[in-house]
Amino acid sequence: MAKLNILPVPTFARLGVNFAEREVGASETESITVPDNTEQRLIQYRTSDSETRVRVEKNAALKLVRIFAGKQGCVSRLSVTLADNARIELIELYIGGDTVSEIVTELEGYKAGFKADIGYELGSENELDINLIADHHGKKSTSDITVNGVLRDKARKVFKGTIDFKNGAAGAKGSEKEDVVLIGGEVVNKTVPVILCAEEDVDGSHGATIGRIDEQHIYYMRSRGIPEDKIYELITRARLTRLIRKIGDEQAEKRVYGALGWSDDDV
Amino acid sequence: MKEKTQVADINRSLYDFRYEEDESSFLDSGITPDIISEISAEKGDPEWMTEFRLHSLEIFNKLKMPQWGPSIEGLDMNNIVTYIRPKARMKDDWNEVPDDIKETFEKLGIPQAERESLAGVGAQYDSELVYHNVRKEVAESGVVYTDLESAMHDERYAEMIRSHFMKLVPPTDHKFAALHGAVWSGGSFVYVPAGVKLEIPLQSYFRLNARGAGQFEHTLIIVEDNAYLHFIEGCSAPKYYEAGLHAGCVELYVGNNSTLRYSTIENWSKNMYNLNTKRATVGENAKVEWVSGSFGSHVSYLYPMSILNGRGARAEFTGITFAGEGQNLDTGAKIVHNAPDTSSYMNTRSISKSGGVSTFRSSVVINENAVGSKSAVSCESLMLDSISRSDTIPSMVVKTDKADVGHEARIGRISDEAVFYLMSRGLDENSAKALIVSGFAENVSKELPLEYAAEMNNLINIEMKGSIG
Repeated sequence: MAKLNILPVPTFARLGVNFAEREVGASETESITVPDNTEQRLIQYRTSDSETRVRVEKNAALKLVRIFAGKQGCVSRLSVTLADNARIELIELYIGGDTVSEIVTELEGYKAGFKADIGYELGSENELDINLIADHHGKKSTSDITVNGVLRDKARKVFKGTIDFKNGAAGAKGSEKEDVVLIGGEVVNKTVPVILCAEEDVDGSHGATIGRIDEQHIYYMRSRGIPEDKIYELITRARLTRLIRKIGDEQAEKRVYGALGWSDDDV
Repeated sequence: MKEKTQVADINRSLYDFRYEEDESSFLDSGITPDIISEISAEKGDPEWMTEFRLHSLEIFNKLKMPQWGPSIEGLDMNNIVTYIRPKARMKDDWNEVPDDIKETFEKLGIPQAERESLAGVGAQYDSELVYHNVRKEVAESGVVYTDLESAMHDERYAEMIRSHFMKLVPPTDHKFAALHGAVWSGGSFVYVPAGVKLEIPLQSYFRLNARGAGQFEHTLIIVEDNAYLHFIEGCSAPKYYEAGLHAGCVELYVGNNSTLRYSTIENWSKNMYNLNTKRATVGENAKVEWVSGSFGSHVSYLYPMSILNGRGARAEFTGITFAGEGQNLDTGAKIVHNAPDTSSYMNTRSISKSGGVSTFRSSVVINENAVGSKSAVSCESLMLDSISRSDTIPSMVVKTDKADVGHEARIGRISDEAVFYLMSRGLDENSAKALIVSGFAENVSKELPLEYAAEMNNLINIEMKGSIG
């Protein structure tokens, strides 16, 4: 078993969040470079172990969509390097499975921008361990991380999100937010939102809400005659639909709806 | 060129006096079965305690140093003196305390505080309590406030201590808990009977005077049902070049429908390693409130833990940490929700300056049985320069779908907009910034007892000479 997804600063060992352990075999590797002053969009479907290295050059932009919908275990490693004024918009969806996913972004350039929008829908005995790290080196670099997910049945999930303001990253801003809805008494959710800061002139924030759907939402929808189990489905679907629509590719969106088992009437 | 604002380091002159020690009163440094047996013999331990100490030593030798947190490589356990024979036995009359010890505590304001605002006081100097006193009317209400050793030898409390001592923090918990189990000395025992609400606080003050020594006091507080207690703890030491070690242990048992407020101002000198363990178990509809100010020490690992074992139990943690030059303060709290309808709230502030490292580290665990529980965590950090560090490492583990957990954190510098606003109201720049720093700490200082809030304001002695940044 190999130690993967290592938290950059270990914390209390008994929480079981410092690393994940998995058998690791040979993985598919690829390198992507987005040249200066260009824009690209890329959609990837991940069902087996993979390692992806991305470099976005000056004033370039990449929209990278990654969909994890395999039933088997999968280890993924994505490393991104951003030059001056380079931007990446990362959309990731995890549907079922047993996935270990590491995303390391080096914001090296001036005004480099990293936007991540991550969603997951896990049920039965699915497992997901995400280790997302945004290293701010460049002045005025920005990171904006949003995570939304639903856990059902006996699903287990760990989300570790680290924003690391390195010394010299003056004017950098970073924020991360995770909202998790839990449905089912045997789910286990672990959330570790970390901010590391060695620079005075930065603005960092993180927030998380974990648990039930807001009682006021439920009250309102029940007053409209919607049964409680349907309310949970509606709200969780609304959360994921918001993210799926950001993919911007009809075929990919249909494939995601299919993986979720949703019919056209549901969407 | 604008002169930079200096937010001064903590003014420690009040604490940095010391008296020469008679080193013949020191046991040998290091931790061996012979030394443990000698400590036990010196203290006249009952047999079970001697065995407990030796068993803890075995555990200590097996456990590894912590694999996370600040480096403690500078701490050489073989050079720490774990026990210093007392110059005098514990007194309940202040006039009988030896002059140099008396003078130490008088400089720290302890007798004055006792006269003015406390229900009882305990004062520990190096390894042993030197003074303990409780007001007559408080004693008559059935409240017991004494040193742990005396209580252990009193047949009224001996069994109570045996059944509670290191049950919340077992020696297997971590290496320094095991060390504590082996070499503990001094500390307080407090017992508040059912139905007694103590309106004015009790206070213990721990002073480590000796060079290259450790302090390992044990505080055991049992609050029965429907009772109230506010307990205040203060700690300080003069500065030496040798590393000192504080590995105390606090165990709090809060009965049903009771409240225990535990306030600490920790101001160890910058040669100290503060590896303290504090833990509370909270009964039905009971509440524990921690108020914690961490200002001193070279390295701190300090995370008071609340275990909410009764339905409707609550925990509140309010803390401030100020890390200056040469300090690495890793502080925070742990909360375990272990019963239905429990709730917790954590609210902390951290300030880093002059190369100091401040880390907020927390964990909230909601167990499967804690249905209907709620938890909220809020932490804010202020960086006063770019040679310092400030990290936040919170963790939330939720094992039921019938709970609500919220977390928010911010890190940054003094806001230009806030300064601009205050200046538009007529304050000069320096005053505006001083006001913002004071306001940042106020959420915590307002929770402290008045005299401690004043002490905290002294500790964060802000000198404004220009502009920050």
